[in-house]
Amino acid sequence: MSLLRLENVTKRFGGLVAVDNVSLEVQEGELIAIVGPNGAGKTTLFNVVSGAFLPEEGKVFFEDRDITQLPTYKRAPLGLGRTFQIPRPFSSATVRENVAIGAMFGTLAGEVSVDESLEIADHYIERVALQDHRDKEAGTLTPVEKKLMEIARALAMKPKLLLMDEAMAGMNPMDIDDMVQLLIRLKEEEPTMSIIAMVEHIMRAVAGLAERVMVMHQGAKLVDAPTKEALTDPRVVEVYLGQPKGE
Amino acid sequence: MKVDLGKCYPLIPVYAIYLVMFFIGNNMPGMWELMAMLAFYCALGQAFNIFLGMTGYVDFGYVAFMGVGTYGMALGITRLIQFKALGLGLIVIGFLLAMVMSTLLALAVGAVALRLRGAYFAIATIGVNEGFRFLIEGAKIWNGSEGIIFMSHMNEAVGDKIASAFSTFWADVLVLIIAALAAFVTLYYMRSKIGYALTALREDEDAAKVMGINVTKFKIIAFITSAIFAGLLGASAWALKTPYVFPPEVFEIHYTVEAIIIVLLGGAGTLLGPVVGGLIYGISKYYLAIILPGFQLLIFAPIIIIIIVLFPEGTVGMLKKRVKGTTLERYIV
Repeated sequence: MSLLRLENVTKRFGGLVAVDNVSLEVQEGELIAIVGPNGAGKTTLFNVVSGAFLPEEGKVFFEDRDITQLPTYKRAPLGLGRTFQIPRPFSSATVRENVAIGAMFGTLAGEVSVDESLEIADHYIERVALQDHRDKEAGTLTPVEKKLMEIARALAMKPKLLLMDEAMAGMNPMDIDDMVQLLIRLKEEEPTMSIIAMVEHIMRAVAGLAERVMVMHQGAKLVDAPTKEALTDPRVVEVYLGQPKGE
Repeated sequence: MKVDLGKCYPLIPVYAIYLVMFFIGNNMPGMWELMAMLAFYCALGQAFNIFLGMTGYVDFGYVAFMGVGTYGMALGITRLIQFKALGLGLIVIGFLLAMVMSTLLALAVGAVALRLRGAYFAIATIGVNEGFRFLIEGAKIWNGSEGIIFMSHMNEAVGDKIASAFSTFWADVLVLIIAALAAFVTLYYMRSKIGYALTALREDEDAAKVMGINVTKFKIIAFITSAIFAGLLGASAWALKTPYVFPPEVFEIHYTVEAIIIVLLGGAGTLLGPVVGGLIYGISKYYLAIILPGFQLLIFAPIIIIIIVLFPEGTVGMLKKRVKGTTLERYIV
């Protein structure tokens, strides 16, 4: 049984085909990167999986259950967590409260009390090394701290599948390396959790992180292969760098 | 509902203020009416804050819930007068009717309007309030524009003495009790998952959905709770205090605006805020009318603007930041 299965998903905005007939399977514990240049349809695909957009065609299955039409808020308790490209903290709440909200309404919803959620929050805040900022309002954090907080918040949901939207965009190389290390550590701690990380152009992160890469181009799936193969595929090189002169 | 007394510290200042208000009113001659007015504004702010403060949605039709609450009490007493043997029981029934009617109106309005966001929600709710008032007047529901005068029914049900005690004393005490109850419910919501869900949806509704929060459900919970308190407030501060109800008076948008000002002055989403806001608003309104009769609104508007510019998070919102890290922190929420 695959954890997530997309079958011929198509999402249009008027005449624009943002996601074009994409199929994808993700197994339990897998770490996949979705790469592609700006406008390739990565975020739209994420929004279809998390429920913000309903696809015009195709189906989305989560643990073999058809969730294509399921409202967004019902997907989190099934085990679907996500972070956003531009962090979206609940600004007036503290870091601790933000992360606790993840625990309260994620897969543990109905099992944990408010106090237990706050304890779970403390654990994940420590995992992303934000303990010094625990009682600060989330709106006052730096952009990198906000991203870390979002990761803690998503992890506190105890997801089976974590969708990470451009986790490293806009970071400097040092922060990127730290983030890659952090993700590797988190992945080791939660071996059954699958991650789909979306990356626009920071290939060093992809190479260090993912076992498998799906490359998107103009809404369609171009390549879906093990990382090394995918990144050296001539079609991928062409998408990013264009054709060599004279050919 | 499990209540941990250790978490009830923030209620202490709120209840202390209400008790002081009661004692001043009860023991100092001539102060009762002023205290009654202040209690009304505190209760109004506290009730409205459960919706406006916790969800960030502005309901311009809020007074409609007070209106139907007033009708609930009036209808309970006039239509069931053949059961006058019930005595005070009729008033209890009136309160229950006020709660049921405001809940039903909140469900009907919420199911449609809460799908809208921001300014669209605000405008839709103005329409609901005005539409409801003209529906009652035009379709002659509940006596239409003639309203309901039920002074004699009150006298018949509970006797002249008790009826007049209600309008001079008990109606105001009930308002204080409603305010105290609203404060308790506010704190309970803040400390429970409901409060966390409301904070999340107030800050970012789409992100809240992704976190697994059924935003519509929680908005409706806050909306109905707030509406019920408005209904109770109408039933006691308006129906019991002055036993008549006229549509243009109980659907007057002016009260909604007052409620918004009180919540903003005190601090939206805080527990103590609406109380402080209600006091500032009520006291300045009362004394400005005495000192500068006729000019009070002219002076009042800039005062409100100055407070809101100086303390955008309200007076209590500012105070909350000041006391962070001190022992006062747990009392001011």
